[in-house]
Amino acid sequence: MLRAGDRYPADLTGVQASGPVERVEAAGLAALVSLVPGAEFGAEPLRGNLNDLAWLERVARAHEAVLERTLGMSTIVPLRLCTLYESESSVQQMLERERDSFVEALDALSGRQEWGVKVLVDPDKLAAEARANSDEAAALEQELSARGGGGAYMLRRRLERHLRELSDALAREVAEHVHARLQDWAIDAVTRPPQNRDLSGHEGEMLLNAAYLVEADRVGELGDLVAELEAHHSNVGVRVELTGPWPPYNFVPGGGAEAIA
Amino acid sequence: MEESHLPSRAPGALPGRPLPQTNLADILERVLDKGIVIAGDIQINLLDIELLTIKLRLLIASVERAQQMGINWWESDSSLHSLGPGEENGGGRLEQENRELRERLERLERQLGVGEGSKESSARD
Repeated sequence: MLRAGDRYPADLTGVQASGPVERVEAAGLAALVSLVPGAEFGAEPLRGNLNDLAWLERVARAHEAVLERTLGMSTIVPLRLCTLYESESSVQQMLERERDSFVEALDALSGRQEWGVKVLVDPDKLAAEARANSDEAAALEQELSARGGGGAYMLRRRLERHLRELSDALAREVAEHVHARLQDWAIDAVTRPPQNRDLSGHEGEMLLNAAYLVEADRVGELGDLVAELEAHHSNVGVRVELTGPWPPYNFVPGGGAEAIA
Repeated sequence: MEESHLPSRAPGALPGRPLPQTNLADILERVLDKGIVIAGDIQINLLDIELLTIKLRLLIASVERAQQMGINWWESDSSLHSLGPGEENGGGRLEQENRELRERLERLERQLGVGEGSKESSARD
């Protein structure tokens, strides 16, 4: 979704590799659309396809690629995946109907970008740091080495539980600190659940998964801030992973799970 | 699988995508769940169980993290986790049971004149 006069790449490939992206204009707005086959995107087949990760990946990447390439040229507001219309005039009617909220979104997001931040930590270093700072852990360990036999088993379990609690508390502290600093600096911020490792393939523990809305011309500062935070928490083996710029998925007004229409 | 060595972050003064291909988790959590939501001509009900299965699988915290946070109710020996001062029920009861059993065993051993706690040992005879 763009303003009607704004530029977009001339050679965009749509969601269907065989077809181009087309522009549908109405009410001073332009929607970038892909023509897709009913056999794949009709209500029934779509349900099955959305559960096919290979299909979903192909479509999601193509969808994102269109937005990403246009992002470099104009303010663009993403719609959720698989927002489907039967005809061009249906799209135009939607643009006319939703004009006010789209214009509001485009205005709010002009000159701004979404950046993703993930905080990953080395779990062994985190545990070691937590343990090193605890008098209670030291005391339990001393008691454990002095005691033998059956009592040692229960004591060891207690120590393990205590160490887990310490690690978790430290993890929360690190995540909260990083998020607070970034949120303070950015225009807006949202946090997400940590990602599923099967999908993301990440190494270490994900303590924070967040998105920040920033002025496009201040992105250099963001890089500096991230480097500073990484250094600050190097004792727990923190890696702050930055991705972007993203189309502002997380910052569309009224964005998220609530439907407009 | 947890690894203790993290790869070093891609160097560079300016932030940018660290990987040649964008991470699928990053894409899916955005395109499926975010952006402006408008009911199109084809109704996709996000509460549809089949779609929700993907969303659950992709978007919730990993099991490892849940375990780390002490959410371990599915472990069979959960009673062993409730130790320490101020704990009620659970572990306290188990400990008490153990104590009682041990005391009973010691009493029986004394009566029979066997065992480490016995005052009458066979060595005396």
